[in-house]
Amino acid sequence: MFTGIDIGGTNTDIALIDSDIRTIKVSNSKGLAQALLKAGDGGRLAVSTSQPLNAMVTGSTGRVRTITIPGPGLVHGGAVKGAVGPRGDVLEPVDTRQVEGLLRGCRADAVAIVGKFSVRNPVQEEIVRDIARQFFDDEQIAISAPLGGLNFPARIATTRINAGIKATVVSLSDQIRKTHPDFLFVTSDGGLCGFDRAIDNPSLLYHSSPATVALGAGYLSKKQDCLVVDIGGTTTDLVPIRDGKPVLQTLFVQGRRTLIQAVTADTIPLGGDSCIRDVLTQVRSGNARAFGGGEPTLTDALNVLGADIGDVSRSCCLDPAKAFEAYQYYLETLGAIIHRKDPGLIVGAGFLAPYLIPDLADEARVRYYVPEHAASANAVGAAVSRISIRIHARADSGRGILTLNGVDYPLPAGISDDDLLMYAGEIVRTQARKEGAPAQDLKELLTSQYSVYNVVRGGRTQARITDFVIGIAPGITAEAP
Amino acid sequence: MTTGIIFGPEYLRHEQSPTHPERNERLAYTMDQLMEEGLFDHPDIMLIPPRKATRTEVLAVHDPGYLSFLEESSVTGGMIDYDTAIPHGLIGDALLAAGGAVIAADAVIDQTIHNAFVLCRPPGHHAGRSHGGGFCYLNNAAIAVRHLQRRGMKRILILDWDAHHGNGTQEIFFTDPSVLFCSVHQFPFYPGSGQIDEIGSGEGIGYTVNMPVPGGSSDQVYQYLLTEIVIPLAEEFQPDCIVVSAGQDNHFSDPLTGLALTARGYATMMQEVCILADSICLGRLVGILEGGYSVEGGLPYTNLGIIAAMAGLDISAIREPDSLLDLLHRSVSESAISQVITITGELKEILSPYWTCFR
Repeated sequence: MFTGIDIGGTNTDIALIDSDIRTIKVSNSKGLAQALLKAGDGGRLAVSTSQPLNAMVTGSTGRVRTITIPGPGLVHGGAVKGAVGPRGDVLEPVDTRQVEGLLRGCRADAVAIVGKFSVRNPVQEEIVRDIARQFFDDEQIAISAPLGGLNFPARIATTRINAGIKATVVSLSDQIRKTHPDFLFVTSDGGLCGFDRAIDNPSLLYHSSPATVALGAGYLSKKQDCLVVDIGGTTTDLVPIRDGKPVLQTLFVQGRRTLIQAVTADTIPLGGDSCIRDVLTQVRSGNARAFGGGEPTLTDALNVLGADIGDVSRSCCLDPAKAFEAYQYYLETLGAIIHRKDPGLIVGAGFLAPYLIPDLADEARVRYYVPEHAASANAVGAAVSRISIRIHARADSGRGILTLNGVDYPLPAGISDDDLLMYAGEIVRTQARKEGAPAQDLKELLTSQYSVYNVVRGGRTQARITDFVIGIAPGITAEAP
Repeated sequence: MTTGIIFGPEYLRHEQSPTHPERNERLAYTMDQLMEEGLFDHPDIMLIPPRKATRTEVLAVHDPGYLSFLEESSVTGGMIDYDTAIPHGLIGDALLAAGGAVIAADAVIDQTIHNAFVLCRPPGHHAGRSHGGGFCYLNNAAIAVRHLQRRGMKRILILDWDAHHGNGTQEIFFTDPSVLFCSVHQFPFYPGSGQIDEIGSGEGIGYTVNMPVPGGSSDQVYQYLLTEIVIPLAEEFQPDCIVVSAGQDNHFSDPLTGLALTARGYATMMQEVCILADSICLGRLVGILEGGYSVEGGLPYTNLGIIAAMAGLDISAIREPDSLLDLLHRSVSESAISQVITITGELKEILSPYWTCFR
């Protein structure tokens, strides 16, 4: 049994997949515990939630104090003395008294600790973290080494996000683990990760809903190249799929580059719950009247125009002319955007897809397909996704260390280039297996950004440095029915 | 104000031998530092991939016979001097380095960018019309200069601050009054040329300016020469573009030389040159990497400092790790400045018939 849960803005969708697919929708007002109960406890559970990250992006989390250890070079705010070099050597000790001075009496809600080249040696971030633990709980402290990649400013931006939402992710994780101890989170690239990895790097969870929708719509429709149009309550998301996979891009938050790879998606702020106040607006003030809300919405307009959604009788207060006008406005707005993208085929997802997609495709002059269970494509995507991992690796034969996302492993002396890739690959596989990945999903590892050079001192080769990125690409698990 | 960085992973390909001082490790830590600093995301910095220089671009500087020699030796393997072997496939890498300099020149003329730094390998300033040497095969700076001139820039100032005298560049422009070649270098030192009385010949007399400095010369010495010689000359010459042969082997930690410049000194020097370029030639400035062999303690910080200065970033925290401070103190010669003051006086005297600023 594969179970997927997508916690949206209004409802939580659940998909239970074995030989057939069952889907359930639970209102968020009933709480997560209710959704988890309905999900049952058999098989694998994958949870998609963008809520913690969305809170950060909209600025509704607390204050985050940043401490940076920039060393020589360009300096950023919150700098303390200390330095790690490009090879991970400690060049200057951390000024622990300076750190204590900054943190004592600090009124922030969380602390982000970021050292230059910490991904090559996290020791100075760990020293600062140990000091921070005197003043803050672990859930309020984030370090940057687990992010793995070089780019100090991007790590600062990402670690600040992580510090801001870590407590929320820990608490959510604790709640789910009570009933589902081995559950997985859906990540921003549409893969899955264990909760430990998510707590180390909560930004992995950013914007996972479009990723799950894309995977789910792809799985249900079997289409390799299309534009998934996911019509939700508040928004309509447009997610392109190429060669059966969503397209990834680097995420910028408040104009700053992060190290988050997220699924490319255009979000248009119009959906089934968009209010009709003379005209269709981008405002959502609760459910559609057909689902007990106060104001008429696009969903009510569909009822007035002949659909049968929820309590149709409650939609009737809407003037048919206004309903038609709102419906047309939605089609024209979305149709123009989709037409410009020239996708060839759109695949509908979301509860309203069967009602809106045919006319929308006509307006955009493209072909369409609305698969069965389109209403819960997001939860289906979570259920059938597979564990993905992306690790920045650096082997330094001089130090005898293989560093994987800031964590050191012993590097066997005299290891060949091919054996090094096998060795790192086995560590990646072990981690994936520990999180529950089946053997079939571990056959193919992706390696990229491979580079190598020798360290020569005094005319003699002293060490060999190998950099690469290794991992398991996101996708649909080989075990999916 | 955008600064272009011309770089591609192909610049890490060339190696004479795995342990040669001019090996791919030279740029490994620099690229780590630049990536870690997030420079390639900076709105004022643009990464531009190189292309190979064309035969026409190369032959504007080098003899056809020499180019054929490099091409043939790139197939068979060959030798130029004790320090300069021709490994298989050399010509492709040498053309990419020269092409990077040409692309930088184009982008600056076209105003796609304000100025550019070419992080190329192999270096070029020891390569003359028909010879290579000193780790150099094609003269990247000279090829860029001729390209600039072909595109309408009449007068070019070359400032060669590599620790070694740019004998190849000097030879190429020795009789050419359209190119003012100024070199600051350790002396006596390889390649042995670059004394103050080498000032050009024929129509080019007065347009070659050599500033030999003793070992232990520090930031103070370079600042002095910039103020006393280079800036007055540039203001009188009024070039259309400045090309810097940016050797980074003046750094105090360089294992092959005996000078004592710091990363901050490099950054400040480049900042001054940028101000100069802004005041006399609309900011047109192309920096081209030459030597520099302190791969870990020097190059990441000097290259960062130079690029930060060119992009107008804050250079106040550009420095080496504290662990190198002892070495710095041991490298600086207190007497160097007084020797340089004496040499500068003599140089001004020699150049005074040709330059009013020294009369």
